[in-house]
Amino acid sequence: MSALVLYDDELDEDCYRARLFLSFLGLQARRVVVDVVPGGEQDSAAFRAVSPAGVLPVLRIEGQAVCGAEAVLLALAHGRAEWLPEGAVDFARVAHWLQFAGGPLRAAVLMRRASLFAGAGDEQSARRRAAVAALRIVEDHLAHRRLDGGLWVVGEGPTVADIALFPTVALCRDWGEEHSAYPALRRWVRAVRALPGFVTMPGIPDYG
Amino acid sequence: MTHRADQNDCAVLDSWHAVGFLETLGTAPTHTRLLGVDLTIQRNVDAQITIRAQGHDTPLPVAERYGCLWTSLGTPPATPLAIPEADEPDRRLVCCGSIDVHASGLRVVENFLDMAHFPFVHTNILGAEPQTEVLRYHTESRRDVDEIWATDCRFHQPQAALSAVGGQDTGYIYRVASPFVTLLYKTCPNDTLRPDVIALFVQPTEPERCRAHPVMFLIDDFSTQADLIQFQQKIFLQDRIILENQRPRLLPLDARAEIPTRADSLSVTYRRWLKQKQVRYGATGALPAA
Amino acid sequence: MSVTGDGGWYPLMLSADLEPGTAAGSTMLGRDLAVWRDGLGQAHVWDDRCPHRGMRLSLGFVREGALACLYHGWRFGADGRCVHIPAHPDLSPPGTIRAAPLRVAECWGLIWAAATDESGTLPEDDPALAAVPWVPVRSLRIEAPWQGVAGAIGLPEGELAAVLDRDVDGRVLAALLPVGEGACMLHLLAAEPAEVARLHDLADWGQDVRARAEERAGQVFLSGAVA
Repeated sequence: MSALVLYDDELDEDCYRARLFLSFLGLQARRVVVDVVPGGEQDSAAFRAVSPAGVLPVLRIEGQAVCGAEAVLLALAHGRAEWLPEGAVDFARVAHWLQFAGGPLRAAVLMRRASLFAGAGDEQSARRRAAVAALRIVEDHLAHRRLDGGLWVVGEGPTVADIALFPTVALCRDWGEEHSAYPALRRWVRAVRALPGFVTMPGIPDYG
Repeated sequence: MTHRADQNDCAVLDSWHAVGFLETLGTAPTHTRLLGVDLTIQRNVDAQITIRAQGHDTPLPVAERYGCLWTSLGTPPATPLAIPEADEPDRRLVCCGSIDVHASGLRVVENFLDMAHFPFVHTNILGAEPQTEVLRYHTESRRDVDEIWATDCRFHQPQAALSAVGGQDTGYIYRVASPFVTLLYKTCPNDTLRPDVIALFVQPTEPERCRAHPVMFLIDDFSTQADLIQFQQKIFLQDRIILENQRPRLLPLDARAEIPTRADSLSVTYRRWLKQKQVRYGATGALPAA
Repeated sequence: MSVTGDGGWYPLMLSADLEPGTAAGSTMLGRDLAVWRDGLGQAHVWDDRCPHRGMRLSLGFVREGALACLYHGWRFGADGRCVHIPAHPDLSPPGTIRAAPLRVAECWGLIWAAATDESGTLPEDDPALAAVPWVPVRSLRIEAPWQGVAGAIGLPEGELAAVLDRDVDGRVLAALLPVGEGACMLHLLAAEPAEVARLHDLADWGQDVRARAEERAGQVFLSGAVA
């Protein structure tokens, strides 16, 4: 896979999912910066021509556009059994967590955006409760996995399920949610950070 | 619950405050908050901007400067601060977007004036171990203009600006123009004489909350606007995780509350200056009732 | 292990959740704490505040047997004294610059801190807990007052930890950390020998306790689509 182009927003955790996986795979992509804040460029005609739903990130592979974090992760993981298991059950479990990342976990993504750009951080809103509930689902899952001796979301090693979940979990302090309430997530965050090729983004300190 | 400024907090009330970027103002009314007071901003068909404040009968003063909309709840000077470099024809104005921070705006300004955190918070960009030393610099309180300045500041930076190629020893000059308005002048990779100018206009919304409006005045003919904006946003978000985790969230003005070293002499001067001006909003020891 | 009065010990977290060379946060009755473990395995509990600029030390990192602040890298040794200031690498920091350590104990698979210097019976000395080795199951954050949770799981009056005789198989050590007015952390451990299926049952039971306590407290956390 040569000639990768990533349409990227430095502050966007969905784009970070793609940057993180590219880095784990040791792949380079040419960055095209999309000015979401303050520019609102994701809604421009030019960007909609690339990503009809205005979704970031977009990865161009040999000129073909793949839109959205989960799709980008799948495209990059295709044919790499260590990141995308081939057995039916584990494959489907990874699919479930990708769907979760694009579904219930969006509440946490929206909480972070509101708290960065709309001054609506800490109040006890329905959105906040939904965001906390989503983090708890991952926490409970990893607490159970640990009792089986497992460290990762699915199977014996890291998969794209871990990469789909990691940014939103690791960035929850951006909307005032403490890591200390989630011991299983803390342990897993450290494990992801220890993988070769790990890169940070603002909100996830280099140290620590 | 909102907290308004104490009526004796003149240095804060009579200042100009940036309350948003002009380029993001549409024709629909927008809402924001300044010093615990809800504001409604309206741009009419003639592009005239009116700002109304909850509980104020008359519209607030308005200024449009440096890409920002400015206002005041008190009696401000004729114009917002002067930044002569902003008018140089080859400077690029880069408005970097507004970011909310759950911390006192005074903490945000103080962090902007700090070099010692570069290696740990902006790792491999504005600093890197083992080059962590902060050399002695000069700090002064300029009585004639009532501003704080720090000069002769130097720090080794792996990537001082987006346009920097490799590491450089960067020279800095810091300036605090009013309690919530600060800027710095740093070595420009593209011009041996003139520095880049980076400003941080902080809008205190509550004592423990603010909205930061970073603006840059750069000499850079090559980078795209989006690249420049994101470089600065990345830096600011790296600071935000620090700022939201300082306790207390208010800035202590009692000299015994926190322990500075020589590297913090600018911060010490800033806190002393705030104390002399009897700044209350965003500082410890004074939370006026709602 | 009395919580009444000022002399109590508080169960902060499972020992297994603090790996060597890492730091974590905890909150004991509204008091924020930094909990860290040095390379030799010793746990430390400090007030969560760097004396320099108030940064929470729980976000820091462990280096050379010291806890370093994330903000400016100031390092504090096991006794709390500042040992290194990166902005002035050649300076020996004065002894007056220090973090604020609390008394700490580690036993029964838990890390404990004392709220004051004159704390009562050390957790080590509690004979009720000494009978068997304990296997960590998990901790759960519960958004409900700790008193209600303590009553619901059957902790004796005034106790923050006890061996439960409950509707789950085998002996269970439950410990409760009051985080604040309306929140607590419940730590669960199982007596050896503990089969994996039983550990899962116990973890599920914890989730059930959490759901019921939060329902009583009017706190409902339901995941789903939001706009």
